Amino acid sequence: MKDKLIDRHIISLMESGPLTSLNETDLTEIRVHTDHCSDCLVAFQAAQVSSLLLKERSAEVFEPSPFFHTRVMATLRERQAEGALTPLWTLARLWRSAGALASTMLATVAALAVLTFAIPGNDLGNAYQPVTSLMHNYSAEEVILNETAQMEEQLSDDQLLTTIYGE
Amino acid sequence: MRRYSPRVFRFASKFFRQRSLVEEAAQEVFLKAFTELGSYEGRGSMEGWLTRITTNTCLNLLRSSKRRPELIASDLTDDETAWLDSNLAGAAMERHQSSEKSLVAADLAGRVLETMTPADQLVLTMIDGEENSVKDVVDVTGWSESKVKVQAFRARRRMREAVEKLLSRNKG
Repeated sequence: MKDKLIDRHIISLMESGPLTSLNETDLTEIRVHTDHCSDCLVAFQAAQVSSLLLKERSAEVFEPSPFFHTRVMATLRERQAEGALTPLWTLARLWRSAGALASTMLATVAALAVLTFAIPGNDLGNAYQPVTSLMHNYSAEEVILNETAQMEEQLSDDQLLTTIYGE
Repeated sequence: MRRYSPRVFRFASKFFRQRSLVEEAAQEVFLKAFTELGSYEGRGSMEGWLTRITTNTCLNLLRSSKRRPELIASDLTDDETAWLDSNLAGAAMERHQSSEKSLVAADLAGRVLETMTPADQLVLTMIDGEENSVKDVVDVTGWSESKVKVQAFRARRRMREAVEKLLSRNKG
């Protein structure tokens, strides 16, 4: 248990800051411990190698190429030109994103219009009914008499007698 | 731009190993700087403002690029393996490196760093690699001091563990 605590202490010493920033007391403590602790020795070696790798990595620096400034200015002008066309460009982008949906909606509306106006359906039969009625040439009297006849058919014999002869 | 580009390049070089990526980042930095020049209120130095843009741009580029999976010993080149072998001794830090070996080391460092998060890469490169202070990192990232310290502590552990695995597999 105590060993584990010491191990943890040594490891956290290594990780508390860059290895190169450790003071002599801390380094001595680490070295004394790693003399008899193989796990911490491996960790210490890895920390040293990590530190060295990072130093070498930081030493690598790139300088701007001679054409860098020209290229940046050209890209800037290009983007500014794109910016001037913003409304058109925005519309194009909008169409790209919502174009499929809009086309589908238009196609659906067109299909419904064709079904409604161009292809005759069942409902269209009703439209010819008035014409048929005209061909029969009904008059107002005829309709009333028909209604009376219908009513008469529905009356019982007693009711009929009462109607004709009174009570 | 001519005045500040070496600094922007130097800073972007901390994040990328390929010249083309450094140039891409630097170009993006200057394009942002030109378009957002109005937001620079002149409170801090122009260099500081540009460094902050550079940091954010590089972090965003790193985030958008795919992180490499764990680096294993079999991925190492012969030169990298030889470099690790020769630097296992305790006095590695004091050892003088030839320029060729430095290149191998820088390449290996880049490959190990690529397996880590952009935030880990930033703190490790700045604090452990370039010996910047925690405050320097706070200034360029806008993170809190405690966040930088915790990030650095954890990043150091992850880097050490990654190297430890390479060393143990390399020995085995």
